[in-house]
This record gives sequence, structure tokens and C-alpha cells, in this order.
Amino acid sequence: MITVNGIKLDWYEGKTVRDVIQEMNYLFPLLIARINGKLIPRNKYDSTEIPDKATVDIIHLMSGG
Amino acid sequence: MADREMIRIEIDGKSVSVEKDTTILEAAQSIDIYIPALCNSELVEPYGACRLCIVKVDDGRKTKLVTSCNYPVRKPIRVYTSSEMVLRNRKITLEMMLSRWPNVQVIKDLSKNAGIKKPRYQHPAVDLNPNACILCGLCMRICEQGIWENIINFTTRGAVPAGRMSYGSDQPHCIGCGACAEICPTGAITMVDDPNQPNDAEMIRKAGMRITKEMIKYDEEQCDMRGVGTAHLVEIMDAYDLLPVMNYRFGKHEETPKISSDIFRKYFTKGKPDGCWLGCTMACAKAIENFELKTGPYKGERVLVDGPEYETVGGSSNMGIFDPYFVAEYNFYCDTYGLDTISFSTGTSFVMECYEAGVLDKEKTGGLEIPFGAKDAALELLHQIGRGEGFGLIAGKGIRYMKKYFVENFGADPGFVFDIGMEAKGMEYSEYVTKESLAQQGGYGIALKGAQHDEAWLIFMDMVNKQIPTFEDKAEALHYFPMWRTWFSLCGLCKLPWNDVEPADNAETDEPAKVPAHVQGYCEFFEGVTGKPQTMDSLIRMSEKVYNFQRVFNLKMGFGKREHDAIPYRSAGPVTVEEYESRQDRYDTQLREDVGIDPSGMSSEEKVALTRKYREAQYEHLLDAVYKRRGWTNNGVPTIAKLTELGIDFPDVIELVTKHGG
Repeated sequence: MITVNGIKLDWYEGKTVRDVIQEMNYLFPLLIARINGKLIPRNKYDSTEIPDKATVDIIHLMSGG
Repeated sequence: MADREMIRIEIDGKSVSVEKDTTILEAAQSIDIYIPALCNSELVEPYGACRLCIVKVDDGRKTKLVTSCNYPVRKPIRVYTSSEMVLRNRKITLEMMLSRWPNVQVIKDLSKNAGIKKPRYQHPAVDLNPNACILCGLCMRICEQGIWENIINFTTRGAVPAGRMSYGSDQPHCIGCGACAEICPTGAITMVDDPNQPNDAEMIRKAGMRITKEMIKYDEEQCDMRGVGTAHLVEIMDAYDLLPVMNYRFGKHEETPKISSDIFRKYFTKGKPDGCWLGCTMACAKAIENFELKTGPYKGERVLVDGPEYETVGGSSNMGIFDPYFVAEYNFYCDTYGLDTISFSTGTSFVMECYEAGVLDKEKTGGLEIPFGAKDAALELLHQIGRGEGFGLIAGKGIRYMKKYFVENFGADPGFVFDIGMEAKGMEYSEYVTKESLAQQGGYGIALKGAQHDEAWLIFMDMVNKQIPTFEDKAEALHYFPMWRTWFSLCGLCKLPWNDVEPADNAETDEPAKVPAHVQGYCEFFEGVTGKPQTMDSLIRMSEKVYNFQRVFNLKMGFGKREHDAIPYRSAGPVTVEEYESRQDRYDTQLREDVGIDPSGMSSEEKVALTRKYREAQYEHLLDAVYKRRGWTNNGVPTIAKLTELGIDFPDVIELVTKHGG
């Protein structure tokens, strides 16, 4: 089990940041990902695996009028 | 952006792993190996014109000289940047350049580094100008590729061409962004026209150029503002249950793909920047050309539609209409009649819900059959408003007027129409569903001008990121962001370049939501114009004075107290059983976890009432916290202490707020 923006999600071996973004249907492009507080660069979302029991923050910035 | 294939190469004996298709020049720069280059920039496609960046490549089968700026790495190779053959060829190129432009500093420096004292050649068209154009083509490439304009090009033929505006004249399409001057390596292009005589034009240009560079490098993968403008938000808001559908009852709809940004991308004029003002390189305005109107006084004519942007599209879903042609048509006629697309669409959404609920019928609307989705009727109502006729005379006066009118003349249930009539302080709501973000409810309700999100758009911070969980956190956000956005209004600046494109390192800052590097840029804009240095805090302070003064003005005009910050309940929660049941899991969970009530066995009506009691109390707590943070009384009136601190304690102001308990 992992926590993403305060929401509990199932965990499996090899689950990546990209998997979480897709599972949460986070379409917004201006995202900042942190795993247990550590910043994950946008070009590493596919290859960064999330450990079990991790706290993941997918911070959405703002845009629009 | 998927992870790319990595390839390991060797440059001057140093090993480096780079993404496939990285150029040799980029790979060398990533490990601090210097290769001279004159015609290259990260802001434009590689050109291979100056030939200074030549290197020797050994691919295991053969060796060859290549230009490193446009040689993509696709397999393991060995690269030599300073072999004898490389240096000899580079020197010949530099000697030819020096013979032609002997006084251009960048060429003199490169020649000196190459050990050239005097070139062996004499050029027939030698140019002694220290700021001569060296034909690198950077200016015309950034104009075309980066700005989407085509103002500068090589002019004249033979031995003395140069980068200039065509025919040596001023081009009216030049937006004066300054990108060509910034990228020119010799100073051949300079900006000379400073009609407003700012204190430091260069400081302003540098701050502007930072945004322009980010637009060129990142916009397409970030918000694609130049591609589709704010319409990119349509499908995003739908995905987060925030796109208003049928008078804010719901936040998404299965037909949203019919009005998504991909649809409008097909219709928008392509390949041209469309900025509101000269010099804007975000250029997100967008337009549809040659659109044939189907209704109204210009029926059958082909026109240019200025838009649509997000709010106009969201207004259409709010009316239950998912037809891009309708969006373009109502966009055009709102503009033509001088109506706001937000007020029209939110007002018409209210009319449609009243029609479906039986508050209105064909008799009361003068024959208009106008349930959700009735696009022909919506356009007819728009024309009636424009002409000042029929039911348009009533609808055109806005929701606040309609609510009262429907109660007094049509016997409408006041509770119902006041719950669903989405306005605050007489202004119609813009196009976001706020039910699940208490902070955004405050963002609309407390906003001085009425229900507009341009003081604070906090839904992601609050609802998705959960960054502002406490009342105090929300109050702090409802202090900072309204003050910050007020500053744009004070200066007559657009807010979009602040956070619709972000710097590459924004994520690494302490408060990325504030985009600190851009706030610093605005400090420089201000200083560049006025000569007065600024900090983030001093900008906020400017706004705080004006914002509080505006609140006092509202008070004077009868709109500046707690009662005026009230919101229609639909902004906070589900008004109807249908709404509750459409998101039953969400609301049941809140009753169970936040309110401490087990909803099982309860009727939907009971649950609607309990949810309402809880959410309305939450909103009142929020007002308490925001007023406290802003230095206002519990009735929302600025205190004398606050006004004194801000230096706006004028006698008539003090007299007014004293009368209202300030």
C-alpha cells in the first residue's frame, strides 16, 4: 500500500511514478513528483519505481486564467 | 514524456551516457567539454552553417569530420574535439571569417584561441564594422522557429548579404519581442525604440526574454499555450471532475471529447502567433478564421472568431451543449454584442435548469423551449439579449436580477433559485466546479469583484494536492494569491506568463506554486520601468494597500461585509438528490469520516441536508480564518489598525469603517 496525495493505493513490485499518474488519471502537465519527499525529475517518471509504504506527492501547479 | 533510450559514447576519452538523438555538441557540453560554435543555440534547430563545431567521429568502421551541432548520437562512437585534423580545419574556417569581419569581437576571440594572429587570406568584401552581421542565421531562425514569425531574412545577393527585414523596411508584423537582438552574437541587431522611456529597458528585455526562452523550449510539452491557448484545460478539468456541466451540477460529461482542445486545434489558425499585445511571446489568444455563421444578423457571412478560450468552452458544457460550432458561434456573437461569454453561459445555464425544474415554461420565456442542450434556443436567447427584446430583456440583466424576478413574478421557490443561481455580489461564476474545494469556494465568494477565479485558483492545491488542509492554510493561500494576482491588475499586466509556463528548475524551489523565478522577473519588470527595486514582499504590500482600499470601496457601495461574501449553495455542495446520488460515494465518505455520521439506511434527502449543514458551517469557519489573516473584523471589515498599518487611514475611510465596526 502507498499513499498518493493522501489517498491509499495498492502497491505492486515495479510500480512507477508514471503508473501512479495514469492510475489517478492525472492529465495535467505541470506536475511535480516526490517519493518520501525526494524530487523525481519528469524524465524519470517511467523508470522510477516506488517502494512499498511510500508517501507519494504529485503536486499540481496552477495554470489558466 | 517516456524515458528515452540511452547510448554511451566517448568524447576525448571521457565516457558519457546520453539519450538517443542527443547531438554530439550537447553531449560534450553536458560533461563540460568546450566546442566552439557560432551559429548554434538551444533555442533553435541546429544549422551547421558556421562549421566551427566540427569534430572527428570514429564509429568503429571509419572516421570522418562532422558538424557536432547537428550530428545525432544513435550508436556508440568515439569523438575527438581537438585532433590535429579538427584544429587545422577549424583554423582555416576562422581565418576566412577573420579576414572578412576583422573587428567583430566574438570572431577575434575565437581566432585568438585558435592561435591566429593574422589571417592568410584577404576577403574582397571585408567589413570593418565591429557589430557586423556574420550570417549565422540565428536571428531569422529564432524569429521563425521560436516566435512563429518571419520578419528577418537574408537580404541582397552576392558577396554582401545580411540578416534584415525585407526590403530594408519596418515590418508591421514584427512584435518587437527582442528575441533576434538577444540571440545575435555580434550586436548587429539592437532594439532602438523605447517610446515609454523606461528606467532600464535592458532589464525589462532580459526579464521578458527569460519567459520567451521558456516558451520556446517548454511550452509544447507543458501547457501548449501557443498551440491551443487556455482551451487545453477543457479535457483536464473534465478528468478532475471540475468542468461545469448543466449549471455546475456535475464536473464531467461523456461528450466532452467533442469540445476538447484537440477539436479546436483543427480549427485554430495555425503557425502564427496570436498575442493580445505586441511583444507577447505566449501568444495564446487563438482564433478561428473563415467561420460561417448560421444565425443572427450576420447569418451566412464568414467571420473571424476571436477564441474560444477555456471559459467559453466550459460555459458551453455548463449549458449541456457539446458542439464546437455552437461554441464558435456564441463566442462570436457575445463578442459582437459586447457580452461576456462567462456571464451569458452561466446565466443561460441557470435559465435552462429553471426551465427543466418548471420555474420557467414556454409561456414565461416568450416561446423559447430552453432545456439543457438546446443550442438553437440558447443562440436565440443570445440574439434577444443583444437586441434587448423578449425574454432576453430579463436574462440579459443577469442571475441576481432573474432570481428576484422569477420569485416575484413566476412564483419560484426562493430557496431553490438562490441555491442554483451561480452568482456572488451580482457577478456570474466562471467555469469551475468548486464543490470539493473549500478554499476555492472562498476564492469565488470573497473575491472583491464577485464570483471570479482570477483572485485565487486554488482547486489543485486544495482538492488534489491536499497542500492546504487546515483553515489557517487555506486562509494563508487566500491572502497571498489574491494579493499577488491583484498586483497584475495594478500594473495592467496579464497573469498568464506567470504560471502557464514554468522554468525547468521550478520544481526544486521551496514554493513552486508561486513560481519564484517568475515573481523575481516581475520585480525586475517593475524596477526596469520605475527604477525602484522590489522584492516579492514589496509587491504583495502594494497590492494589500489597494485590495483593502477596494474592500472599503465595496463597503461604501453596500457590498463589503460578511453577508456579501455568501455563496450559492451549489458552489459548496449538492443541491438536489440527483447531484448527491451522482457522487454518492464521495458524499457518504465525507459524512462517515469527516462529520462522524453513518449514512447507511438514510434517505438521500436526509444525507443532502446533513451534508449541507456540514459544508455551510465549513464555509463560515473559512470566512473567520480569512478575515483574521487579512486583518479584518469578523464581519469582513478592515480594522483601523490594519488600515493604519497600510497607510490608508484617511479620515473618510476611518469614518466609514468605524460606522461598520472596523
